[in-house]
Order: sequence, then C-alpha cells, then structure tokens
Amino acid sequence: MVKIEHKRARFVFRLGDLKLEWTIEPRYWRNHFIAIALLILLILGLSGKPDLLSLITTANIYACIAIPLAWQMTGTGRMNFGPQLFVGIGGFTAALASIYWGWNPWQSLFLTILVSLLFALLLSRLTVIAKGLYFSLITLLLPLIFLEFTNIFNRVFRGETGLSGIAHIIDVGDIGRNYLLGCLMSLGLMLVFLYVVDKVLRSRWGVYAAAINDNENVANMLGLNINRYKIVTFTMTSVMIGIAGWFAAHYFGTFAGVTYLPLQFMLKVLLVVMIGGRGEIYGCVVGAYFVALLEHFLTRIGPIHYILFPFILLLLLLALPEGLYGLYRRHRYKEYYPTLKVRKREI
Amino acid sequence: MLLKIENVTKGFGAVKAVDGVSFDIHEGEIVGLIGPNGAGKTTLTNLISGLYKADGGRIDFLGTNIVGLPQFKICHLGISRTYQIPQPFPDLTAIANVVVGVLCGKHRINLSFGDALLEASHCLETVGLFGKRNVLAKDLTLFELRTLELARALATTPKLMIIDEVMAGLNPGQSLRAVRLIRRLKEEYRLTILWIEHVMKVITEASDRIEVLNYGKKIAEGPPKTVMNDPIVIGAYLGKKYARSRKA
Repeated sequence: MVKIEHKRARFVFRLGDLKLEWTIEPRYWRNHFIAIALLILLILGLSGKPDLLSLITTANIYACIAIPLAWQMTGTGRMNFGPQLFVGIGGFTAALASIYWGWNPWQSLFLTILVSLLFALLLSRLTVIAKGLYFSLITLLLPLIFLEFTNIFNRVFRGETGLSGIAHIIDVGDIGRNYLLGCLMSLGLMLVFLYVVDKVLRSRWGVYAAAINDNENVANMLGLNINRYKIVTFTMTSVMIGIAGWFAAHYFGTFAGVTYLPLQFMLKVLLVVMIGGRGEIYGCVVGAYFVALLEHFLTRIGPIHYILFPFILLLLLLALPEGLYGLYRRHRYKEYYPTLKVRKREI
Repeated sequence: MLLKIENVTKGFGAVKAVDGVSFDIHEGEIVGLIGPNGAGKTTLTNLISGLYKADGGRIDFLGTNIVGLPQFKICHLGISRTYQIPQPFPDLTAIANVVVGVLCGKHRINLSFGDALLEASHCLETVGLFGKRNVLAKDLTLFELRTLELARALATTPKLMIIDEVMAGLNPGQSLRAVRLIRRLKEEYRLTILWIEHVMKVITEASDRIEVLNYGKKIAEGPPKTVMNDPIVIGAYLGKKYARSRKA
C-alpha cells in the first residue's frame, strides 16, 4: 500500500522500500515523468487521428536521429553532415531483410545493428584521420554516394520509387490501433535513446566527450586515449541512428533512398540539432517536435520548406549558435557536461 | 636518473628547431630551461611530452625510450605539462577541467567518479582555486588559469612536471605567488620540475641547475650563477658586442 506523507514543501510517497519525493513548489519541478506523461496523454488524446499520430512519430524519429548525433558531435569534436547515411543503412537493411527474406521487425533489428556496426567501424577511422571541414565534407558526400549506389542497383534498392511492403512494426489487425501503438513505440524508442545518452553524458564518458570537444590535444596530453573514445563514440551513435532508420522503415512500411538520403533530410536533422543547441540532448526533442510541426504546417502552403529550412538553419548558425533552446538555457552552464558540484565541508 | 635526453633533433623544413640537445634530469631537481625567443625551448618540451616526434636521438624516461610514444602513454608514464598560453577546456568548470586529469592520468585501480571528484577538489585546494571550482574555465583570470593548469597537471600524478613560462603576463605579486606555489608543489608531491622561463630573476632563484638553448643548440649548463655569468649566454641574450665589452 502506498503511503503518502506531507512534509515541509514536499510530498513523500512510500511503497515498501521505494520512496519518491515530490516537491510542491513548481519551480523545482524538473521531473522528467511529467514530460513523458504529457506526451503519452497527447498521443492517447490523438488516437483516431492517424495523420497527427504520424506527425508525432516523425518527430520522435527525428529526435532518435538527433539525440545520438548530438552525442557524436560532442564526443568526436566533429560536425557530421551526413547522419542520414546510417538512417539509410539501417532502413535499407531492415527493408531488404523484410521484403526478400520475409524477416519480422525483431529479426531485422538484429541484422540492422550488425550491419550498422560493421559500417560504423569501417568509417569510424574517419574521426581520427579527418579533422574539421574535411570530416564534414566527407560525411556530407557519403550519403549522396549511397544514394547514387541505390540508383545504380535499382533492381535491389528500387532507387526511384523505394522499397514497399515492409513488415509493419506492429500489427494488431486494426489500422487505428496500429498507428497509436506505433506512435507509442516511437516515443518509447526516443525515451530509451534519451535515457541512454543522458546516462552516458552524465558519467565519466561525458567528461571525456566534453574534453575532446573542447581541446582534443590537451585531452590527449592529460592521458586520454582520444582515438579510442572517438571511434567508440562514432560507432555507438551510428548504430543508434541505424536503429532509427530501422524503425522508420518498419513503421511506414516503405523506405526510399530519395526520401532519407538527400541533403533536404540532412538539413532537417541539422535543424533539429541546431534548434536544440549543439550537444543538448533535451533540446533535440524540442527541436524535433518544432521541425516536424513546422514541416507539417508548411507543406499546406506549398514546397516552401525547401527554401525556408536552409534559411532558418543559416540564421540559427549565425545568430544563435546555442540554438533556440539555448535561449532558455543561456543563464545556465551547458547541460551536456556533467554538473559537478562539490561543497566545502565546514569545520 | 629520471629523464635522459640524448642528441635529440627536430626540424621543420630547413629550420632545425632542436639540434643535437643532450642533458639529464635527476629526481627531485628543478631544472631551468632558458634561451632567447626561438631558441627551441617549447619545441623541446613538445618533444618530451610527445606532441612532436623527434627526428633523431633518444629521450629516456625512467629507462624507457619515449620517442614516438603517443601523448597519453607518456602522461601515464608520469610526465605532465602546462602550456605557455593556457589551454583549458573553456566550456568546462574548473573542477571538471581537473577531473579530466584525475580520470585519464596515471591508472588508478577502482577509481570511481566520486573519488575522482574528491581528488580534483584536493588538487584545486592545493593551488588555491577551490573557491572557483564551479566557474567555467573561460571566465577565469590569467593567474587563475595558470594555477588551474598546474592543478590539472598535478591531477595526473606526474613524476616530472614541465612548466612552460608560467610567469608570462603575470604582475610581480602574482609571479611571487606562482613561484611559492611551484616550490610548495615540488616539496609536497616530490615532483621533479623542468621549468622554462624568460624571467631570469625567478629562474635563477628557483632552479637547482640551468640549461641554456640558442638556435636549437645547447650553449651552456650548470648552476644558475655560473650560467648567468657565462659570456656565451650573455652574448646570446644581449649580443656578442655587449658580452665582449662586459668582459673588458
């Protein structure tokens, strides 16, 4: 039985050995459960409106790409302009496994992780060899090369039209419920990514990532094997982005290179990261919902987002390098570095 | 013997920044490394700390040749350094700057994040920067940055600490505090120090022995007073004409 106690300025909930404290004053409400509960309520409230559920799912997929990307940018100290490469690798692996071999989503997830891991390990050396602009240029080109590859091998990848008939992520027999459950799963995936990256960045890995981001030569001089950490970070984040691609393929049931691999998609992902602020994983969620909503409303006007998105990105890069979310956090130190508070003991 | 440098050379194109330099550093010493601008002092420290790879010669640290070893391995062996122009992690707080040194420096078994924080706090307190532990490094003053660099270098538990022009840009009061601090660190942590400095008064008072470089070559070595009166050293700093007139 849950016991509720009212103590000074807080409620204490007890269930056996479990204890949860709730501060009454709203300015101390920094509880993630509120945000999660609100999102779940929003999704449940929108059941029966598949277009809006798809919109939320798209936002969650953007966040699933942007969250590991934010970690990657910090942990490698490099700007990756081609995160969609791993969306493509993950998505195509899932799609091909599902269509040609008839694999279900969970079997294809295993294969997606393996293939993404292989490609990530192959490309991870780039974080050591290429610096600054060269890394950005190479990563910018790789998805475009992959897009050309899908066009050349049109019979396998169906470059122009995309692959369709991919097994759905969930099928309970009712389309409305499928949309609802798919949307909740996308939220779950996004929250898992958020939790994992948050835990990593608040550990000693976060300190290493921050040190590499700030000055990798000094980090190396202080005894950090920067190459190892950059390779591991790039590999792990790339696999996570690959999983986002897997989810997109199985959720929508179709996967086309022309949707995910061109520069337009990269611009959207970068916009999500830039709105959140570089390295701000919670900002990525805000950015993802902002971009998805903006895209949704702009498509009603016409294909104006092709011009508007790069324009907003340029403005953000020039005027607000910390992102829109950074405006809110301007008075605080960067959240992606672990907050290390040590109090001096009074003697 | 802690460090033995034998016939080390390093060139950048046609310029030989370090040309056949040899000297030893014994445990517990403070060795001063002086020379006019462009003498090759910082290049030599970069060679010792592993930022550059020597073109020739040997650098033995505790019997291990460290030429060609990556910087992090040299740090793990026990060599740490500060920079002429402070290079903190600007977006990290002072304590996080030092925690990097604690976590990444010499390997310590079962070092938890909390232990690392505690040790970093201790390092900050030693250099007198504990009060600024939660201030971003980019918001610290030059003197505080210099002490932060010392704390960070100390956090890696070095045997040999290379201090590169710690007095640059400090006023006389701050310089005095810095010298006292370095001496205290040497005593408390049993450090050996290779100290590069332009301020002659400081280096002659603080060091046990001085090595002098000019145009990449070693031109003199010995106790501070002997070196300071050496006509070759005076000539290198003030010109041969002045050295001759002083002799006459």
